[in-house]
Amino acid sequence: MNSLVTRGDKMAVQGIWSGTISFSLVAIPVQLVKAVEPGHVSFRMLHSKDYSPLQRRMFCPEEDVMVPPDEMIRGYEIGPDKYILITDEELESVSPERSRTIEIVEFIDMKEVDPIYYDHPYYLVPSKGGEKAYRLLVEVMHRTNKAGLAKFVLGEHEHLVAVKSTEGALALITLHYSEEILPDEDISPKEGKIEVEEKGRIKTGIKKMMADFNPEKYADRRRRKIMDLLKKKAKEKAPVEAPEIEGEEGEGPADLIAALKESMRKVKKNR
Amino acid sequence: MSRKVVEIAGRGLSLSNLEKDLYPSYGFTKAHILEYYRRIATFILPHLKDRAVTLKRYPEGVDEDFFFEKRCPSHRPEWAKTAEIRRDDGEQMTVCLVNDLESLIWVENLASIELHVPLARAGSPETPDSMVFDLDPGDRANILNCARVALILRDLLSELRLTSNVKTSGKKGLHVYVPLNRKETTFEDTKKFSKAVAGIMQKNYPDLVTAKMVKEYRKAKVFINWAQNDSSKTMICVYSLRAREKPIVSFPLEWKELENLAGPGDPEKLQVMYSEAVSRAEKKGDLFREVLVKKQRLPYL
Repeated sequence: MNSLVTRGDKMAVQGIWSGTISFSLVAIPVQLVKAVEPGHVSFRMLHSKDYSPLQRRMFCPEEDVMVPPDEMIRGYEIGPDKYILITDEELESVSPERSRTIEIVEFIDMKEVDPIYYDHPYYLVPSKGGEKAYRLLVEVMHRTNKAGLAKFVLGEHEHLVAVKSTEGALALITLHYSEEILPDEDISPKEGKIEVEEKGRIKTGIKKMMADFNPEKYADRRRRKIMDLLKKKAKEKAPVEAPEIEGEEGEGPADLIAALKESMRKVKKNR
Repeated sequence: MSRKVVEIAGRGLSLSNLEKDLYPSYGFTKAHILEYYRRIATFILPHLKDRAVTLKRYPEGVDEDFFFEKRCPSHRPEWAKTAEIRRDDGEQMTVCLVNDLESLIWVENLASIELHVPLARAGSPETPDSMVFDLDPGDRANILNCARVALILRDLLSELRLTSNVKTSGKKGLHVYVPLNRKETTFEDTKKFSKAVAGIMQKNYPDLVTAKMVKEYRKAKVFINWAQNDSSKTMICVYSLRAREKPIVSFPLEWKELENLAGPGDPEKLQVMYSEAVSRAEKKGDLFREVLVKKQRLPYL
């Protein structure tokens, strides 16, 4: 029944990437790990007849068949029914080389980074031998409230990242490139005069509602309800089971299987 | 557009764009393709005969977009033979029958570099006349691994008194065919039988073989695709060209030849180019003829 573990129960460190974080003469061996686990509860789609887990396949409506991977090719859509074909090799030729270092190129003030640039957070965990230097960096960065800016290849993409200190640890946040940020010029209305009086009223209103940021106060209520429901159902009724996967023993008419086994024995003996 | 009118069996055919290079990195024009199919016609036509041919067309060459044409194009010559088949969804469909040289040249003039055929004939769409094992290597495997699997398959089938024939796919794999040619056979039979064979192969050679469709399982293994034994599936026709960088053909091999080639070395040595295909077929005859005529019954079903 380990499928009903709650978040936090599984904190085993699974590195996504390992290498060193470096600047000038400092090099600290680290591992990159997830900092967030998406909160939504995911479900597998099963065949209602026998509870086999279902797979996604690619379908060709023109030919009316499922298309195997070796018959698939990428096309960049340039208009209705018009594509530019691109091969794996071509894509690879423009992909960055995998890197083993997170090279900090400059230190910036984290306050200057608009949160709109934040893409995805990770933690950096010190690897063996790097603990001391790691702690030192955490402390200095925390005291100065500075973050290191670096370029870093993860998967096939080169990311711009900020390495900042949280309480006692280093976090790495991938940042959006500026060209990805949509303009906000048209959003702020230019018309209308703002009355001083009105401004004051809103200010007071905000002041009244001031609080420390305390995210524990809020929880994903739907998630919690679903988890409670699943726990309740797990207690009441045994889970359904998918059938044995194909290719296992006894797949097919018994006589045929027996004959195949015997034949296979002979084949192996003669080889 | 340049045109040339030829006469085949008393029928005029207007051929277009003959100088167009359809294998640009090799240099092989539509005229070359038509010439290949003209010379291989004697051998390929019996395998196309009365089957609902799917045309895989490459109007701009092998490096550009292609499309599958299952329905026979409506702009066909009035003498072109067709058949009416019913698809799984019940819809009626008119398909091309490529039973003679003029039809072959006509479909090739449409840049149908690859000709794919079902395992059954159009008149008896539920009766496969052969059972196939489509051996497809994963990313880190190649045709030499397929050769090993094919040879084990041959021996296993032969223990069950079934003769089999092998051809290159012309891409990365091999196709092993078991001739049946009995009107009592159904796809349900061939599917059940081939699935059991694939299962026992996987069980006995787990490092070499997988019978699972999922790609992660394939990698360094050979996937035995038994699910091709289905009325809705097609296989590349023996002697058809493949749309690769070079004009390579899906070509039948002798088992002895495969035994000799199966060792280590360049996987490409198993591939047969168009020119070799013609000379070998003319010398040796149709090595795949047995697939069309030999009658065999699947035992233990």
